[in-house]
Amino acid sequence: MNRVNPLHIGLLLAVVIAFLFFQLSSVKTELEEAKVSFETSEKLAVDLSSLKSAYADKRKSKKALEKILANRTIKAANLTIKRNKKSITISSKSLDAKTLNTLMGKVLNTSFNIVSLKVKRLSDTKASLAMEIKW
Amino acid sequence: MKFKRSSNVLFLDPQDIKIRTLDKGERVDIILSPSLYWIKKIKLPVKSVREVKKLLPSVFEDSLPEGKYSYTAYKLDDDFIVFAYEDKKILDQLTKNGLSLSDVSSVHFAQSEFSSLESAFSINETQSIYVKDSLVVVVPSAWLEETQKIVTKDIQLSKHTIKLQQFSHIVDNSSLYKIGAVLVVLAIILLVEVFVASSKRDAIETAKDELFSKYKLQSTMIQNKSTLSKYTKIHKKQTKLREVISYFLNMKLKEGQKVSLIDYKNGVLNVVFTGVKQGTERRIISQFKSKKINFQHSFNGETMRMEVKL
Repeated sequence: MNRVNPLHIGLLLAVVIAFLFFQLSSVKTELEEAKVSFETSEKLAVDLSSLKSAYADKRKSKKALEKILANRTIKAANLTIKRNKKSITISSKSLDAKTLNTLMGKVLNTSFNIVSLKVKRLSDTKASLAMEIKW
Repeated sequence: MKFKRSSNVLFLDPQDIKIRTLDKGERVDIILSPSLYWIKKIKLPVKSVREVKKLLPSVFEDSLPEGKYSYTAYKLDDDFIVFAYEDKKILDQLTKNGLSLSDVSSVHFAQSEFSSLESAFSINETQSIYVKDSLVVVVPSAWLEETQKIVTKDIQLSKHTIKLQQFSHIVDNSSLYKIGAVLVVLAIILLVEVFVASSKRDAIETAKDELFSKYKLQSTMIQNKSTLSKYTKIHKKQTKLREVISYFLNMKLKEGQKVSLIDYKNGVLNVVFTGVKQGTERRIISQFKSKKINFQHSFNGETMRMEVKL
């Protein structure tokens, strides 16, 4: 009567099923963690990418600023522009109100990193300006 | 390599209990006493033993005491010799003789092994077996004039054997197979689920790696979070700067009141108003308070300075 005890086979199957349940639960936990991690990374990547594009893309910022400065009204104002590696300084000892409004309207509506700004009223139509934008 | 294990024969009878002690590797062939099974010799309009076995429960119906029976049969000339037996009863009998199922090499019926007996043989102190109408039956020894002690030592065993079912009294074979099949299917389903979940997890990991290279992220999340925090601070400050400047420039001022200076440096915005007479500053302050912006203000003659930390 050299037969395999059915109880042993049942026990083996029960152990295999228990092991698979444990394995499945562990893999599902890992799957959930991976999903959460991916969603977090994706959100971070999108946010970081858009913020970097707005404040850390030197070429893009320079190009946008050059476009503003090329405006006919602004160009005519003969602004003093000092460019260096990390920033640009725009200043004028006397600027008419219309040019100031045009310049500030365009600068404030673009995502530049303005680190300093000084606008001083000189008269009803004139003001001085000093502004530094960092890349 | 197969090792042949030595074997000997035991006539298993409920009234003749002998405790057997086996050597290591030794196994016994069992011959069941007619007391341990029910037998019939029948003619049936079927050809194969397999077909007969299917009919056996109904053949024995109403003729057996209550119990969980297994059935078997073999062909003898034009007849079928059919058996009904209780596995548990036989297993219990083996236990009483000091044997377990693993000690048993084969199980035979007395019918198949002693069908050619010519005289009666005693199987215990009170009973004997003899052949009547081709069937081996048990009778009280007192009925017989002469009996000999049964000898099993040099008996040549037939090929008619049965396999005892250890759990037949609890659950029948088909149920065992069904339970086994369900468990196997469950194991397969679980295995497939593990495989699918693992594949999904690996796919997400790969997508995450691709995300890192697509957005040129730094190698660790700590570095990336730190960079994000730096740029988020810049963004918040710049948004607030534009928002506050917009409030100042769109303020409704009284006649003679003017914004004479806007000065932003190191995260602090200073705005100077001129022409602000004592008591008229409330209008400016209330407008600012309504925007829920924290500020400080000071006076110097008709000049009011407002400071906003961004």
